[in-house]
Amino acid sequence: MIEILDVSSPIIVFVSSSLLTIPMIKKLREREGGKNALKVSWFLAIFIAAAIGLANLSLRYYAQTPLHPFLEVTLTAEPLSIFSSTLLVDAVSIFMATIFTVVGAIVFMYSVFYVDYDEELSERYYSIMLMVIGCAIGTAFAGDFLTLFIFWEAIAAGSSFLMLYWRTPKSIHATLKYLVMIIMASAFIVYGLSIVYALTGTLNFWMVRHALMALKDKRLLEIAFIFIAAGYSIEAAVVPFHMWLPDAYTAAPASSSAFFSAIVDQGSYYVLLRVLIYILTPSTVLPWTHTFAALSALTMVVGNLLALTERSVKRLIANVCIADVGYNLVAVTSVTPLGIMGNLYFFLVGGITTALSFMAVGIFNRMGYETLDDFSGIGRKMPLTSLALLLAAFSFAGVPPLAGFIAKYLVFTSAIEAGLSWLAVVGVLTSVVQAAYLLRLINYMYAKRPREEKGIEEPRELLALIFVLVAAVIVLGIYPTIALNLINPVIQQLPFVP
Amino acid sequence: MQSALLPTLLLPTLAAPFVYLICKRSSKVAALVIVLTCAADIALLSTTAPYILNGASHRYVESYSWIPVLHSSFMLFVDGISFSMATITLVLISTAALFSINYMQERKGLAEYYTLLTLLSVGLVGVFITSNLMLFYFCWELMLVPSYFIIGGWGYKEPYRAAFKFFIFTHAGAVFVLLGIGAIFMVTGDLDIFQARAALMTANPEIVKWILLSLTAGFAVKMAAVPVHMWLPDAHSEAPAPMSALLSGVIISAGAYAILRVSLGTVFPAVMSTSFGGQFLHGLAVLGIVSAFFGSLIALVEPDIKRIIAYSSIAHMGYVLFGLSLFPFQEATTGTVLHLINHAVSKGLLFLSAGAVMRQLEIRDVREMGGLAGQMPTTATTSTIAALSIAGIPPFACFISEFLIFVGAFQTIGNDGFYLIPTALMLIAAVLSLAYALRFVGQVFLGPAKHEKVSDVPPFMRLAMVVLAALVVVLGIWPTFFIQLIMSASSFLAV
Repeated sequence: MIEILDVSSPIIVFVSSSLLTIPMIKKLREREGGKNALKVSWFLAIFIAAAIGLANLSLRYYAQTPLHPFLEVTLTAEPLSIFSSTLLVDAVSIFMATIFTVVGAIVFMYSVFYVDYDEELSERYYSIMLMVIGCAIGTAFAGDFLTLFIFWEAIAAGSSFLMLYWRTPKSIHATLKYLVMIIMASAFIVYGLSIVYALTGTLNFWMVRHALMALKDKRLLEIAFIFIAAGYSIEAAVVPFHMWLPDAYTAAPASSSAFFSAIVDQGSYYVLLRVLIYILTPSTVLPWTHTFAALSALTMVVGNLLALTERSVKRLIANVCIADVGYNLVAVTSVTPLGIMGNLYFFLVGGITTALSFMAVGIFNRMGYETLDDFSGIGRKMPLTSLALLLAAFSFAGVPPLAGFIAKYLVFTSAIEAGLSWLAVVGVLTSVVQAAYLLRLINYMYAKRPREEKGIEEPRELLALIFVLVAAVIVLGIYPTIALNLINPVIQQLPFVP
Repeated sequence: MQSALLPTLLLPTLAAPFVYLICKRSSKVAALVIVLTCAADIALLSTTAPYILNGASHRYVESYSWIPVLHSSFMLFVDGISFSMATITLVLISTAALFSINYMQERKGLAEYYTLLTLLSVGLVGVFITSNLMLFYFCWELMLVPSYFIIGGWGYKEPYRAAFKFFIFTHAGAVFVLLGIGAIFMVTGDLDIFQARAALMTANPEIVKWILLSLTAGFAVKMAAVPVHMWLPDAHSEAPAPMSALLSGVIISAGAYAILRVSLGTVFPAVMSTSFGGQFLHGLAVLGIVSAFFGSLIALVEPDIKRIIAYSSIAHMGYVLFGLSLFPFQEATTGTVLHLINHAVSKGLLFLSAGAVMRQLEIRDVREMGGLAGQMPTTATTSTIAALSIAGIPPFACFISEFLIFVGAFQTIGNDGFYLIPTALMLIAAVLSLAYALRFVGQVFLGPAKHEKVSDVPPFMRLAMVVLAALVVVLGIWPTFFIQLIMSASSFLAV
């Protein structure tokens, strides 16, 4: 039997440790030596505790006989009211929580080694990051729209603090832009949800789904859908609501850009997947396929074209993130088991690859290299960091044997399966554009002469973390079965969606 | 022998880091390690030869578990065609490595160069010995990435520009291949070419038609058929000579092989009886003629020594396309595959010889060359052998294969009157190839000497060229071995 504590233990670990971190780090700063080792072991302990909690949950979940694929866990035995929050455990949420914990751990450790810029604030920085990871896991386990909304808003609030971290005019501007967009998105979502509530009398995922399936007159639902879809699209940076993303990601410190792309980005895709496919399932609830197919094509085209004109490498990667939204949407739109498999694989790989490239770019940025011109000949000066960025770029471009290829293959094949061949064609063509600008980056790194020939010492701890992700990209590319086996239960469960 | 093919791929993969480390000490030893690896690979492949020649299916298969969720297993196989292509590839890679010892010795970053060359051999051999389309695509792109870096890192003029063009063109082709592969998976639920072929027979021909077009378009880019040839002259002429030899010898042949194996061998049977099938083959023939004429005519007037050879490759891919369009006539298909092999050896040799000339003279305009026959006797001899083979003169290699293609063409005319004019045109194109081959030899090696104090190239370069020249002659006089092997794959070709 899975209790509420089993489900919420990873969330509780992160949120409570986020509160404890501030006094901890403050105390640490007063000590003389061995600061870093203690700091690292404190954070490692948090992640290990969360991982144990998660492992316990998934063991218990898969040990159930008979298996309840979609397990709802509430605080009390009987729901107190229709508003009572529900946590939902299924294969998707366990998979997402695993991604958040594992990738989060690496990205987090990177920022521990990276943030030596502004020691004064660092404890709040770590604390907020832990809170965001906790809320992301909460999002994954949310079982009703209200819980989902609350956790998601907490992520947005935390993210805006991370963006503001440097308090430069640029980052204040980016944070404002982000906040305005997110608040608008929340307003849209709340408005849409209020209509849904009026139609169905509940916010619980499955009850909403059932009520909507039985709904005769769907005109009001269509209005609600427009608001909900717009709201979640803003949060996932779907074109034409993408303009906050490059600013927000680049204004933040490099370590939090990696964090955003690995946690917040993938979280927002997850929300789209959950709401669009599991609850507003096309054909039975609402036929939204063509709307999102168009949005997806637009996102792929615009994201890649924006990246094509970009001179700053960090913004270039941020634009790749936008393009990735488009590729993810292709699979969402297909509404096929293969597409969902592709989506989940893409969440993992996309998270790893974007985080990896932001981490590598972060090292370059710290050395003062920002634009494409600065990157001239950097391949010879910083060979290892360049190699990591190179592999990330090839993975983005979908070149085998790197993980990005399998992700794209699944996504495009699912589009063909769903009869959206034109979307697959748009996808592969924009993928060629993607290869073009990524190769241009590589050309700068390897073909051009550096301004000064001197080699630069590369930070070893950061590189070690980066190469953990590089290894993951290669291994997941050559032998994707490792990840696909984790995703397979999701596909097996699909026919049983309540 | 239970597993011969997996080691064939693993050996160079595992050798790559060692090559890197060894090369830090001595690049000569590293190159010799590559030669040894290739030799070991050939030996491993040869252990499958009895299965191919005597087995019931004329095929040797190995299967390993890989991605069960996507119904993909790590399927490796060889039949006569794969065996011949893989062997020739390994021979060319080892001669390219030998040639590089002297040719590249003054260049920087040789450790990376030889490592990339080793990785390239994995991709190249892999393309020929797998029957799983996913794995095929893996190897297909794996031969692209190292080539990109070799051209970019050690090429001439603005090498990364040429490399960029090469990458983008062929990658754009590759994504269409990917679409085709995805569609095959959707329609048949399988990615193995032999299973898919049977399953496609019952599929909707309208879908199969699009799969066929998408795949063939993608492969044609790699093959540099006109009008998607634009990457080839730059890439082939700016690459270092050993890489040019591999590009022209093997990489574009891989495109032709893929058309034969995947487009024609797997997808085409499903639409063969429809009117579209005939149109498709006619289309290939027309593309072939256009490529042959385009390549030959430009090769006649081009002054740059390596671009002449590059354009001649386009022309020869034209012959191959024409040969492919005669599918499924056995003589023609055998001739086409044999031509891929013969062209690989001859063109590889010609590029190496051109590299030798360029290295000694440090110019690339043929109008400024002349009379090198006395000064560089070995290079002159090997170049002449290669050029005559390219021109289709007996007893050199390409003659036999061109002859077989024409035999097939005349047979086909009996069934399909359409081929009358194309065959006549192809004969004219063959005369053109003689013209540019003679011009090449004449301008570079004959006439009065225009440069003084030119000596022949160092020993390893000579060795590499002599090995290939000997092969050109042997293949010309005694092609039976390969013909037998290729014919044995007829169980696959027979529809």
